[in-house]
Amino acid sequence: MSATLTDPYAELGKEVSVSQIDHELHALWEQDEARTNASLMNLVVYSEKSGSLLENSRIINDLTRDNACRAILVEINREEAASLRAWITAHCHLSHGQKSVCCEQISFRLTGRVTGRFRNTVFSHLNSDLPLIFWWQGELSDVFTERLASGMDRLIVDSSLWADTKISFTRIVEALRANPSLVVQDLAWTRCWQYRVGIASLFDDSVAQTALDRIERVHIRHDPNNRNTGLQILSWLAVQAGWKSLANGDFEAKSGKKIQVQIESSPDSAPLGLVELSSPDTCVRVSHEKNASHLQREIVSGDYHVSSLSPADPIPSADLVAQQLSRGGKNSLFLKILPTFLELLK
Amino acid sequence: MSNPFREDLVSRNRPEPCSVVIFGATGDLTHRKLIPALYNLAVDGELPTGVNIIGFARREKSDAEFRQGLEQLNRKVSRNGHDPEVWGQFIHSVSYHQSEFTDEAGYAALAKRLDEIDAERGGKGNRLFYIASAPEFFDDILLHLKKAGLNQSEPGCWSRVIVEKPFGTDLKTAQHLNEVVNQTFAEKDTYRIDHYLGKETAQNLMVLRFANAIFEPLWNSKHISHIQITCAENLGMEGGRGGYYEKSGALRDMVQNHLLQLLSLVAMEPPTDLSADGVRDEKVKVIRSLRQWDTPEKVAENVVRAQYTAGHVDGNPVPGYREEDRVSPTSETEAYVALRLMIDTWRWSGVPFYIRMGKRLPKKSTEISVHFKEVPNVLFGALPGGVPGGNVLVIRIQPDEGISLRMVSKIPGTSLRLEPVKMDFHYATSFGKGSPEAYERLILDAMAGDATLFARRDEVEEAWRFIDHIERAWHESDNKPVMAEFVAGSWGPREADDMIQKDGFVWRRL
Repeated sequence: MSATLTDPYAELGKEVSVSQIDHELHALWEQDEARTNASLMNLVVYSEKSGSLLENSRIINDLTRDNACRAILVEINREEAASLRAWITAHCHLSHGQKSVCCEQISFRLTGRVTGRFRNTVFSHLNSDLPLIFWWQGELSDVFTERLASGMDRLIVDSSLWADTKISFTRIVEALRANPSLVVQDLAWTRCWQYRVGIASLFDDSVAQTALDRIERVHIRHDPNNRNTGLQILSWLAVQAGWKSLANGDFEAKSGKKIQVQIESSPDSAPLGLVELSSPDTCVRVSHEKNASHLQREIVSGDYHVSSLSPADPIPSADLVAQQLSRGGKNSLFLKILPTFLELLK
Repeated sequence: MSNPFREDLVSRNRPEPCSVVIFGATGDLTHRKLIPALYNLAVDGELPTGVNIIGFARREKSDAEFRQGLEQLNRKVSRNGHDPEVWGQFIHSVSYHQSEFTDEAGYAALAKRLDEIDAERGGKGNRLFYIASAPEFFDDILLHLKKAGLNQSEPGCWSRVIVEKPFGTDLKTAQHLNEVVNQTFAEKDTYRIDHYLGKETAQNLMVLRFANAIFEPLWNSKHISHIQITCAENLGMEGGRGGYYEKSGALRDMVQNHLLQLLSLVAMEPPTDLSADGVRDEKVKVIRSLRQWDTPEKVAENVVRAQYTAGHVDGNPVPGYREEDRVSPTSETEAYVALRLMIDTWRWSGVPFYIRMGKRLPKKSTEISVHFKEVPNVLFGALPGGVPGGNVLVIRIQPDEGISLRMVSKIPGTSLRLEPVKMDFHYATSFGKGSPEAYERLILDAMAGDATLFARRDEVEEAWRFIDHIERAWHESDNKPVMAEFVAGSWGPREADDMIQKDGFVWRRL
């Protein structure tokens, strides 16, 4: 069955029978030999939101400029009558203004009872030997199982979208137990990457380093939707500096000195608007004005004042995913801070 | 003191805040490469906070004039474009210091200025001196740095020097320069830059060899018939380059440094670790193991030098080498060189390495090709055409960085016929994000104290020792090997083809 002009899913490309997907993909590539099919990974984008396929197809079109992949988009709706529809298309971009480099996309819409076939449907259409990366949009529903996670190489989630962060992370921890090589990436954590780089860079300065043992106050500001990002960067500061968490939410440094923590939620803030560490005479600060394209890094200590700009982390989830994919890595630091973060969630 | 927030953050050594002093700050390299590299590091948030950049040069200029000149070129050449907001903050840390390179007072004033910057910074005084001036000033700059005490650093701090090529013009001058450098800076603080080593594919060479189980077992004389390294340039002596080239030639300009560095990465043994000396210990062994072409006869047999005659490149008529701007009509400088090298080690016994480098060749391309031995002529030898050649692994350094592998495959059909097919990996296709410029990576490495991608003293001297024999045979012997000729726009002289054909091979077609 071909897509028609009135078909709301026409944007997804050619509608094909699931059994014919491989055949149709071959035919797609044979149409034009001038194009190059590139793929470094299987990227599955999973959503239970109605209309997500079209939205995600547009995201993949942008994302494949820098991250060659076979994209498999999945939308699930249990309320509708049972059906399984599939579409194929390719996203092509000029590479360095020359060659047309294309990435293939398979879209699945599973409804009603057929949603139970989700795992097999996805796993039978992977590009062999390439890593399997799941971008799980929204809540971890009961479709997310340990068995499903056991086949993944990387799981990208956004904990800022979860109604109950603690319960969802418990499921993630169970999945990690079942598949220890699974790399989990929380976009809430990715959102503070440039902050972490900025703070690390500021503490290369001897003035800031000298002040580290005398830190007595940490001030973090975030917008109301990004509390997890605020808590995760606090967990990172504590774990790296060796601070112990106290029952009242404050910390204690190795020296026994108390560190007062202020976490402020403000609608006027950027997702993460401020991380400031203060000692009696020195203030080390990374800040981000809402909608500004850069972070401001600063050290103020008496007359000594250094400041510089650095890029801000992107805000759209798709850009964060692109950034995460291009960085790769094992994300061991996230696993290191996870227990402290889960503790702070309490 | 360590910085706990750096731990586990990025998998590279930590660049430290420092003052960067660039000698030759009004030159092309500073404007086209160094300042754009530092700016792009700032754009990416990689430049440590608190880096100060001081341009040191002879011309009278104010800070404002210096900054204006830098901005004009940065707008044209910067990899990340030009963001006025970032530039505004970045350029604030850039200033100009006018002095003759031989003026002692100029260095004393520089020392005072650096001390003031350090005092503002609370006493931390890391210094990185980048010598990007004309080579005739290297000695003066180094000696004056020492006189002014700028080679010394406070406890816990460092003082390092980056030296641009050419690092000498022969073994004697290189040894002299090394002496001067090492009387001023310890070897561990000396960074001899070879921008080829900062290129993505050059760095990927070690990953390809040692992170893939399939290559290393085959990487020896048992399985490899020969290796070719080609560095082709379609340009000639445009922009007044002839004056410089006349004094260097292809062998000294490219082979002594860039191509022998690539050779050592291809041929070295696995290092014990990834430390700078771990890698460089292995690289220098390769250069040391090169069979010396130490008589005019051996040079004539294993090295071909040539000049181009008038021809066409990219469809445009171009003059011959001796008719180029600033080139002598009786020039004896080679614009093309091809070498047959033998590495006398267990691994490479009997495997020839061929290097060719030339100007005015049909296209710009630098590639390494590893040619594997052919399979025994048993199964498919009787077929029409037999087996069409052995496997070839190609590592493309520039442009279009990537790796390809040529294999043999059956042509579909009822009869058995074999054809070569190519498996191709392009960086640009697989990784859309562009690589940083080589200078960005190398400057950051120097700030981090990581000398892995810089040449060590013994590497440079061993390379010159090998090159000097050839130069002597060409210019000082009674029995000088001939200067061959080739038409501009062709792939080099017939003599180079003959040299490789004597071993039963042909130059790879690029």
